[in-house]
Amino acid sequence: MEARKPVLNQKNEAVIRVKSAVPKNRQDLLKWNGWGYRDSKFIFDSAANEVRFTGQRYPIGDLRLPHLMGWVKENFDVDFSKPKKAQEVPPEEKFPKPQISPENLARITNLDISYSLKGLDRLIRAHGQTLHDIYTLRTSFFERIPDIVVWPTCHSDVVKLVRLADESDMVVIPFGGGTAVSGAVECPTGESRTIISLDTSQMNRILWIDRENLVACCESGIIGQDLERELRKLGFTSGHEPDSYEFSSLGGWVATRASGMKKNLYGNIEDLLVHVKMVTPKGVLEKNCQVPRLSCGPDFNHVIMGSEGSLGVITEVVIKVRPLPKCHRFGSIVFPDFEAGLACMREVARQRCQPSSIRLMDNGQFKFGMILKPESSYLGLILDGLKKFYVTKIKGFNVDTMCVMTLLFEGEEADVKAQEKKIYSIGLQFGGMPAGQTNGERGYMLTFVIAYIRDLALEYEIVAESFETSVPWDRALVLCKNVKEVIAQECRSQGIKYYMINCRVTQTYDAGCVIYFYLGFNHRDVENPVTVHEILETKARDEIIACGGSISHHHGVGKLRRRWYAGTVSQVGVDLYLATKKELDPKNIFATNNLIKAKL
Amino acid sequence: MCSSSRRYQDILAPRKTECSNFMWASRQLNPQVAFKQAKKPSPQYHKDEVVKCPKIQELLITLSEKEQVTKEVLEGRVRNILDEIGYNKKLKVVRWLAVVLTKICNRICSGIYLNEDAILQLKSQMGTCPVIFVPSHRSYADFILMSFMCFTEDVAIPAIAAGMDFHGMWGMGTVLRDTGAFFMRRSYNDDHLYWTTFKQYVYQLVTKGDLPLEFFIEGTRSRTNKSLTPKYGLILMILRAFFLSQVPDVLFVPINISYDRILEEKLFAFELLGIPKPKESTSGFFKSLSIVKEKFGSIYFDVAEPISAKKFFGPDLDRTLHNLQPIHMQEITDYEKKLIPSLAHEIVYKQQKHCIITTFNLLAIVLHNNLTSGRNLLSVDEIIDEILGLKKVIEKFGAYVFMDDPRKCVLEALEVHNNFVRVNEEGKVTLVWDEIVVGKVNVSKLKAHELSEKTITFSVPFMLLQIYINPTLHYFVDLAVLVLIVKHQRAQSQDELFANYHFLRSLLSQEFVTFNTREKMEFTSALAHAVDLNLLSRNQELYDLGENKQLEEIIYNCIDCFIFTYFVVCSVILELSRVIEEKTILAKVQEEIEIKINEGKGFIHPYSLSLDTITNCLNALAGQNVLTKSRKSGSVTYEINDTKVLFIKNRLEQYVTPAQVLQEKFESVQLHLKNKL
Repeated sequence: MEARKPVLNQKNEAVIRVKSAVPKNRQDLLKWNGWGYRDSKFIFDSAANEVRFTGQRYPIGDLRLPHLMGWVKENFDVDFSKPKKAQEVPPEEKFPKPQISPENLARITNLDISYSLKGLDRLIRAHGQTLHDIYTLRTSFFERIPDIVVWPTCHSDVVKLVRLADESDMVVIPFGGGTAVSGAVECPTGESRTIISLDTSQMNRILWIDRENLVACCESGIIGQDLERELRKLGFTSGHEPDSYEFSSLGGWVATRASGMKKNLYGNIEDLLVHVKMVTPKGVLEKNCQVPRLSCGPDFNHVIMGSEGSLGVITEVVIKVRPLPKCHRFGSIVFPDFEAGLACMREVARQRCQPSSIRLMDNGQFKFGMILKPESSYLGLILDGLKKFYVTKIKGFNVDTMCVMTLLFEGEEADVKAQEKKIYSIGLQFGGMPAGQTNGERGYMLTFVIAYIRDLALEYEIVAESFETSVPWDRALVLCKNVKEVIAQECRSQGIKYYMINCRVTQTYDAGCVIYFYLGFNHRDVENPVTVHEILETKARDEIIACGGSISHHHGVGKLRRRWYAGTVSQVGVDLYLATKKELDPKNIFATNNLIKAKL
Repeated sequence: MCSSSRRYQDILAPRKTECSNFMWASRQLNPQVAFKQAKKPSPQYHKDEVVKCPKIQELLITLSEKEQVTKEVLEGRVRNILDEIGYNKKLKVVRWLAVVLTKICNRICSGIYLNEDAILQLKSQMGTCPVIFVPSHRSYADFILMSFMCFTEDVAIPAIAAGMDFHGMWGMGTVLRDTGAFFMRRSYNDDHLYWTTFKQYVYQLVTKGDLPLEFFIEGTRSRTNKSLTPKYGLILMILRAFFLSQVPDVLFVPINISYDRILEEKLFAFELLGIPKPKESTSGFFKSLSIVKEKFGSIYFDVAEPISAKKFFGPDLDRTLHNLQPIHMQEITDYEKKLIPSLAHEIVYKQQKHCIITTFNLLAIVLHNNLTSGRNLLSVDEIIDEILGLKKVIEKFGAYVFMDDPRKCVLEALEVHNNFVRVNEEGKVTLVWDEIVVGKVNVSKLKAHELSEKTITFSVPFMLLQIYINPTLHYFVDLAVLVLIVKHQRAQSQDELFANYHFLRSLLSQEFVTFNTREKMEFTSALAHAVDLNLLSRNQELYDLGENKQLEEIIYNCIDCFIFTYFVVCSVILELSRVIEEKTILAKVQEEIEIKINEGKGFIHPYSLSLDTITNCLNALAGQNVLTKSRKSGSVTYEINDTKVLFIKNRLEQYVTPAQVLQEKFESVQLHLKNKL
């Protein structure tokens, strides 16, 4: 099928060819066995006996973090003298040979699409960012990795590839930004067919921008930071900022039903998406119009969104864009305890006056944020001391129960002011106290930095992971408490002495909210930390679901949460999904085994 | 549970040595709470929350439309109900009570023993979910002693579910309320508003309370000193919070409280015969303080390991069923209700396994056996020997016998119980008959048949004795059933034996509380023990009586009287009309047995008159659909299926002791009686 020609916009602007921040050879810039940029990481400086964050990419870069060590020692009983170094990049001969027949390789070569059979290229596309993935990279090897990596550069390349794979019975696993935390891009271990990793990163143009309707058509491989940078140049923003947005791709967002930090103002991916193309073995699934909404039977956009690479390859997406807001301001409110903070969140949602972002960190996360404070000047220390004195002694807050709400306001100056006034007055009703812009800003900055800390933790026998859920308002508090208790109980029974479980509320809706948990433990006393972690996370998810929470709010199901899929959607739902799968991909070339194990 | 690993500390000992208990009672308290809450909830907070909760509010709106009363009026009604129910907490009262109680205990008790390690272990587990103390219930003292124990051990004093009969006691009701009791109407009624409020109050305490809860799963004090079949009402109310995932887990802590001598023993002996207890009144309470002159020996607490509801139900329980609809509209499913009995029985089972066997329990068995088997009465030295033998046997079953120096313990036991067991002029240990004064009996208040004074005087010492034998029976009952079968039938194969065992054991399932899921296991274990103790011998595939005749006799005598009563019950109801009131059956059975006792044709054990046994029998029959039980305006009636009753009666008949044996026994008992008199 011939791809429909992209319509040029009124100004006849040329297609924007985006020079991505991340090169085609990812490992040149990014860690091959950890999170993010190679130059950015937490390191332990044994000479200074201190932890630092390297590089200048983030605001805490190259600053001393004097509070961190003590906290880590106290909470995790870490021995900094004994780091466990990760294994080096395996030499080429150590990688399994690609399982691909010369005929098939010739066919791919004939397509004139860039490809690689190199071991490392294949390895770094064999995984996402789950604890299991990273731990495996550091200590052992995956059972199965792709046999070949291909880099299509446009929709029609993908059409050709999918057709070829279908004809020659090869498996295609789409790969975007590699930030999945659901096991979605992992190769199914029993797969004997050739596995093609379809890397969308070179398919990252902004094909056109429609200023009248405020939409942009992008290829699916474009990553968040590139998209934002290019749109900002033109005075727009997509407003979609998941925590992974530096590296994750537009196609990945659609395939997992992503959610961004600023969804209150801009919406989740399902609100942003206006049109989408998905290449399947049966052809291209798309609509014939670019309309804001339509009443036309079940919406097949929702078959594409959340398909997790199992039904086809998402190639082009038309998404909404917004003019860049003039004013952009952070804020924060401290509450005496989590209950009060949550009640305030609920009230804000009831009044539907959420600013661009509103989050609530529990006491554990609040303290964790504090220990990541860089060393401040002498005056800064005094000021901090005074603030603490005021909050704890005059306002009577308990350091061991208080928590903080972070806020991000966006819009016209006057609107932001009005919003601030409203939020702070609601905060006051629940015993909250404004705690300044800096605390708010730090909270959001830490979101990006916190992903890096796991790599350091792994060196010192601490494994850590996050998981999330959505839950109706009336069950939110109990869910948080119960999950923490389940983790505590299970750690006890596993013989884990040092662990951390804390949470934050990251999104609010009319009918509920989103809870994000961080879990970490010192695994010195357990045999297999990844298995034990899986047990803990499984118990936690069982409890989440028993408490009325969901299988996932935005991380997706993948392989990690498959066991709860049928329970979530009913058996009829499973059969409906399987029927769809059978229709679109009868040979199961998209054999990701995400959502359910598809034996077709 | 390994009996040798049990260790007990006397928590009264420090109180006896300190020169004043005031310092201790007024010490700074830092009690361990069960379920730590963000803000410490007050008793009033709980009541307010119940009134505010959507469940009550929505009910009030419906009721106000139905009854044409304003919501405010109804809300007032709810508040009144809550004032009747709700606990209070006055530390001052607690401290004063501690002082008074210490004074009393120091005078009448030799010790209050507790496995303190278990409490320490429990305290380390407390703080993160509701903790429910579930003590056995043998005496009113259980209430206060539990709180006293918690106060001593720095555990938050629980909110205790108490019956309304306490509420009525002037002064005492308030004192109990101030120390944490909340009150539950006992009488069967269907006041919808009351029960919704009560259930919501319990739900509130479980989900938002920080104190442990305490309730008696047996529902009432056991008059017989053996476990009662658990009740499911309150435990279901408590578990609601867990089924709805409103708490992370619920920990049930089975606790056994054993007494050397039960305060109410005499009252119970009379009650079992049908002579009712006086209504709880404060003057009655003060009268019971006249016990201060007497000695009551020691009291033993054994705190079992907590049972986690979550672990107990495991994957059998799917809590996601309650994910749709608001929490307050959720109903407990039938499936969830079906899960309750297994947990309730597990708790009772643990209470039994954690009981303490006292010297007097063993002494009672030996004495009883001597009296009823035509044996000579024994001197103190002889009885010590027999007790030690029996101790070894019962320890094999995992029982813990609290006895260090046997002679000292036996002498103490005799001193404590010298109201009905004494050493006579010949230096032999025997029952005392001549001190029973029946007094005026209000005939209109009798529960069953009007027994003659002669029968009562003769029976009461036996009833008292049996009360102290009963706690040991759950160790022996399976063994006794096996012995009974083989003794009355013939050598038989394991399968036949099991079939007969199943018949008798299910019939006795109320008498000696058991839960059918354990039946096969207990049979196998009892059979192994029986062979091991040489009670039964195995010849090829057949089991026959073994050589251990002495133990056989003791064990057989333990359940003989129960079988007899069950047989009489079946015979009696066959002669009555098809639908009949419970009270009539009770009276008729007692009448029948009294006649037999006085006929002089054979020894009929007076415990056969026990109303408790008769009721247990009726309930067991109803459980097997032999009778159909129904309750109309407070009175219970049974509809009788004659064919089925006849079948059971005939099957039971083979196990009843033959007349000739009874005759021999009769003569022996008469002899002992004469000797005494």
